[in-house]
Amino acid sequence: MKNLNEAEALFYQSLRIRLVEERLIDLYPADKIQSPVHLSIGQEAVATGVCATLRPMDLLFSTYRSHAFYLAKGGDLKKMMAELYGKQAGGCGGKAGSMHLAAPEVGFMGSSAVVASSIPHAVGAALASRRLRKNQVIVTVFGDGATEEGVFHESLNFAAKHPVPVLFICENNGLAVHSYQRARQAYDVVELAKVYGLPTTSIAEGYDDLLVSQKMKTIVAQVRETSQPQFVEIKTFRYKEHVGPGEDWDAGYRHRADMARWQAHDPLIQRTDWVARFRASIMAEIDEAVAFAEAAPWPGEEALLTDVI
Amino acid sequence: MATIEKIVTPPKSTQRRLMSYRDALAASMREALEVHPHVIIMGQGVDDHKGIFGTTHNLHHEFGSDRVFDVPLAEEATTGIGIGAALNGLYPIQTHIRADFALLAMNQIVNLAAKMRYMFGGRFSVPMLIRMVVGRSWGQGAQHSQSLQSLFAHIPGLTVIMPSHPNCIIESYRHAIADYPNPVISIEHRLMYDLQFDCDLYPAKPVASPFASRLARQGDAVTIVATSIMVLEALRAAEHLKEHAGIECEVIDLHCISHPDRQMVLASLAKTGRLIVADTSWKAFGVSAEVCRWVCESTPGLLHAPAVTLGMAAASCPTAKSLEDRFYPNLGTLTDAVAQLVTGRKDHGVPLPTETSMADVYKKFKGPF
Repeated sequence: MKNLNEAEALFYQSLRIRLVEERLIDLYPADKIQSPVHLSIGQEAVATGVCATLRPMDLLFSTYRSHAFYLAKGGDLKKMMAELYGKQAGGCGGKAGSMHLAAPEVGFMGSSAVVASSIPHAVGAALASRRLRKNQVIVTVFGDGATEEGVFHESLNFAAKHPVPVLFICENNGLAVHSYQRARQAYDVVELAKVYGLPTTSIAEGYDDLLVSQKMKTIVAQVRETSQPQFVEIKTFRYKEHVGPGEDWDAGYRHRADMARWQAHDPLIQRTDWVARFRASIMAEIDEAVAFAEAAPWPGEEALLTDVI
Repeated sequence: MATIEKIVTPPKSTQRRLMSYRDALAASMREALEVHPHVIIMGQGVDDHKGIFGTTHNLHHEFGSDRVFDVPLAEEATTGIGIGAALNGLYPIQTHIRADFALLAMNQIVNLAAKMRYMFGGRFSVPMLIRMVVGRSWGQGAQHSQSLQSLFAHIPGLTVIMPSHPNCIIESYRHAIADYPNPVISIEHRLMYDLQFDCDLYPAKPVASPFASRLARQGDAVTIVATSIMVLEALRAAEHLKEHAGIECEVIDLHCISHPDRQMVLASLAKTGRLIVADTSWKAFGVSAEVCRWVCESTPGLLHAPAVTLGMAAASCPTAKSLEDRFYPNLGTLTDAVAQLVTGRKDHGVPLPTETSMADVYKKFKGPF
């Protein structure tokens, strides 16, 4: 959609991500998407706000909950839908599925389903950027649970010591699968990052894509200019279950009231006028992507043993 | 009795070049930095006064500490950093002064480096070289001596080599760095570092590929498929058996553990009908088991006698020398195995070499190292 101002463009992208994932929920019962989906519904503004400040040449490493970042970084929706369907026309020929989306053509560097495992990749890519004078900012996005892994510490230590232009972004939804952050962590994650000497920022309003974007603009510019790492925590809220298309409020580990407090700020729920304005255009794009995925051929037998070595 | 000098030292009448395993490694590291501006060497101690047993010594002075640098004791992140660097245009060479330490990086090696090309449908490749050194003798014990080739070779996406000779090192590392788009794990053997090799030891005919298996010795009585330092032991056993019993062994250096030249082995078996696999690691689920698997699956009729395998005892490596000498196969056990297999008799009458410890023969150093 053309001629949108900054706020409208960000909202449009966030709404697009939510409607894509809501379509996945609708499609799931048909069993055409045989790939575990980790939905970002509730967390869209983090991806939109961060990616709006990046250049196409900047690289972003993400996790298995990556539909939002894939789309926000500029990944092609048709290729994503075909990938989720396991079709040859998918971005990775159907071998990746939902958990390993990749779009190197727009700097989306592939997502890993092993928690924290792509954090050091960003540090290494930043090392290469510095050495080869590419002037890239390299971003790694991970959840609060990833900060418990040893490789998180190892990566921050290396990045700070060398230093390299990497931006660590903790997309903090407070949950690791079904376990609360406070039950798992003896530290405050931002205070921990400070121990390594990294400049840190915490953004509480992870529902506000415009605010996230404005804060990130300054931070991304600093990382690019100084070639030094920074750490950002962005608080957010996962509306759905850890994996799958459903909700799990009946499981007893969390409360609807907490979600209601978050949703009261969620522009994708509150700005009904903008939803009404943009919805048809987005739905047309999604319809086209689903039709593309449905019609695309499966990968053939010859693909089974290609790209092993 | 065959001596180590007879195997690795050339006749005086020739002009062949002598080179140590260590010098070949050092030359490869230097060449990589000279020829390829995008090569970096990162590992614990690469820029210290020992420089990975002399193979990276002083390179940081010559090529800069942004290309040759020490890393924190963080094997997982360091490996992941190598992967990320490779994804963004560098060629990282990583070092583990003991292969055992690479177990701390298994997540990055197995879940990421090995899978990135396939998992992302060919959208990425991870060209990098990971050097791992196997320790042996002088009390290396359970955690400084493991030979983990079968663990890595089991995983699709990894290329695992075990150089047994300076030629293998120079050709394979040059190929990996210049032409090969995938992660290569090279398992080096510490006990060979100080040995001088005749660099025309192998047949003059060029190998099919730098990673290809090599015909190290021709013979008609038995096929010895060997890895790493066991290639040298097989060659020594072959000389002994020729001298004392007229038995001619064919020795195949498997070299690329993950992608061996099966046809070379099968062609040899068609000639000899007898198979011995001599590996540096445990036998169960390892190279021995794998070689026997594809012989059995393809043409089991080639074997005139049951296959024989030699490897480490099915235990962790003990520190005490009296136990360690029994833990590893040696020249005596290998010679005995060949003689039994060829004659079909336990009381074959072939005199066996008397030495019990490979380290006593190979070692030009005293620990610790």
